[in-house]
Amino acid sequence: MPAALSLQGLSKRYGTLTAVDRFSLEVEQGTVFGLLGPNGAGKTTLIKMLTTLMRPTEGDAFIQGHSIVSAGKKVRELIGVVPQENNLDRYLTARENLVLHAKMHGIPPRDYRPRIDELLELTGLSGRRNDFPDTFSGGMQRRLVVARALVHQPRLLFLDEPTTGLDPQSRRALWDHVRTLRSRMTIFLTTHYMDEADSLCDRIVIMDHGKSLVDGSAAELKARYAHAHIYELEVRRDAQRYEELFSSLSAVTSLEREQNAFRIVLRDEESLKPLMDSMESGDIRRICLVEPSLEEVFLDLTGKAVRE
Amino acid sequence: MLRGALSIVWRDLIVLRRSLFSELLAVVASPLTLFFAFGFGLKGYITAVDGVPYAVFIAPGLISMTAVLAAFEESAWSMWFHRRVQKTIEEYRVTPITVYDIVVGKLISGFTQGGIKGVAVAVVIFLITPFRFPLQNLSIYLLFIALGSMIFSCLGTICGTVMDKPENIGRIQSVVIMPLIFMSGIFFPLSSYPPSILPVIRLLPSTALFEGARTALLSGASSMLSLLILGGTAVVMFALAVVVFNRKIEE
Repeated sequence: MPAALSLQGLSKRYGTLTAVDRFSLEVEQGTVFGLLGPNGAGKTTLIKMLTTLMRPTEGDAFIQGHSIVSAGKKVRELIGVVPQENNLDRYLTARENLVLHAKMHGIPPRDYRPRIDELLELTGLSGRRNDFPDTFSGGMQRRLVVARALVHQPRLLFLDEPTTGLDPQSRRALWDHVRTLRSRMTIFLTTHYMDEADSLCDRIVIMDHGKSLVDGSAAELKARYAHAHIYELEVRRDAQRYEELFSSLSAVTSLEREQNAFRIVLRDEESLKPLMDSMESGDIRRICLVEPSLEEVFLDLTGKAVRE
Repeated sequence: MLRGALSIVWRDLIVLRRSLFSELLAVVASPLTLFFAFGFGLKGYITAVDGVPYAVFIAPGLISMTAVLAAFEESAWSMWFHRRVQKTIEEYRVTPITVYDIVVGKLISGFTQGGIKGVAVAVVIFLITPFRFPLQNLSIYLLFIALGSMIFSCLGTICGTVMDKPENIGRIQSVVIMPLIFMSGIFFPLSSYPPSILPVIRLLPSTALFEGARTALLSGASSMLSLLILGGTAVVMFALAVVVFNRKIEE
């Protein structure tokens, strides 16, 4: 069985600007794949190429073995797309939006009618089927866009920042819905929310300046980038003296104190021993290693400067 | 190829059906006003043009004008709205339909709406004025209207595709569409033009449309040259609409 998605040196250039730079990747069937990156990293350009909205300058990508360059129509039969913006037709009812999508996929009415009813039920929009999307909340509109992308039962679903602008309840509801899909299709997700990627994705790639920086599961990335060696340490007594002592150690790169508790960033793994040697063992109430969050990994890789 | 196009037409007709009454009311008002203003207001000054009563002379042109203007407006505004506001064109493009489907769908929609609105104006003019024509002339007249609507629909599609600001569509209407219509002998005979510019006016597709359609409806005669000009222009405009749309969406 071919990979759900295979990118082979995919590039997109606009004059001198390279938005996506020889991007290569393989995504296995049934994976929830997360693509993270700051604004302008090239995520949207990459999705536009994969969904055949944009032609690559160089390279190719294959969806279920079909080229996005030479078999665009076949690719579009296999994919579902939830774009960043809710591009629903405001002059059609919720149900009519789904019917139009089914017609464009050439699905006969006897097949699309029960499917649409089922999707409206699943997304909790059954009671609003004959209402216009303008009268829906942001979360309901988003659910309708997801339902529309699922009408033709795609093999690969692209979710481009699916929960941006939603309240926490709507986000959680959408996450739950995405989890129910993972057994039936491969999901390609982009998001700015690290908790979303952490919670949903089996595999994550962080990209910047059009290139892949790192690839792995959330746990792997956190483990791989735990080189900051952050410890939380609490002493029983002499906190002031220990603060002065830790500050003088070259192994300590950053120190924060709140009463008897310290948050210490060490230079490297070997720095723990000199730290411990400098302390009386009876003074230590608690010491623990702090695992970096996915957000810390992300910022470590892409920098803290705000992008335009 | 037509599956996607027909889906788009299905969508557009559902939307039209919901607002049919208000649409028809709005579309009938303008040509009727012109008919009363020119047909009745000038009746005392212009009794006949080439032996045809003036009110009868302008009626076919007003019906044709309604149809082609509706085709232009529907295609231009619909394409602009779907591309820039709703971004539904992007949704269409991630389904297995082609660029041709989208352009042809919008053309058929513009053409259909032009036809419906033209018929509405014709019925009203027929009911409240003494304008009559031989029924056997209707088929050739409709051929002219079909080609004209296709040309204006393509022009509308191109405008809606290339123009990002809505006010520019209105400007094109004022600077290109209306002069083309008014210069083409709807309200006066072409013989009024100085002989030096008449050959140029006769080559305009809009002249071929309005003059040819009127002659066809009133006398049953069809000008082969007019039909050739219209047919050729329709083919060129369709090709241009496809190329322009393809290029724009690649940006």
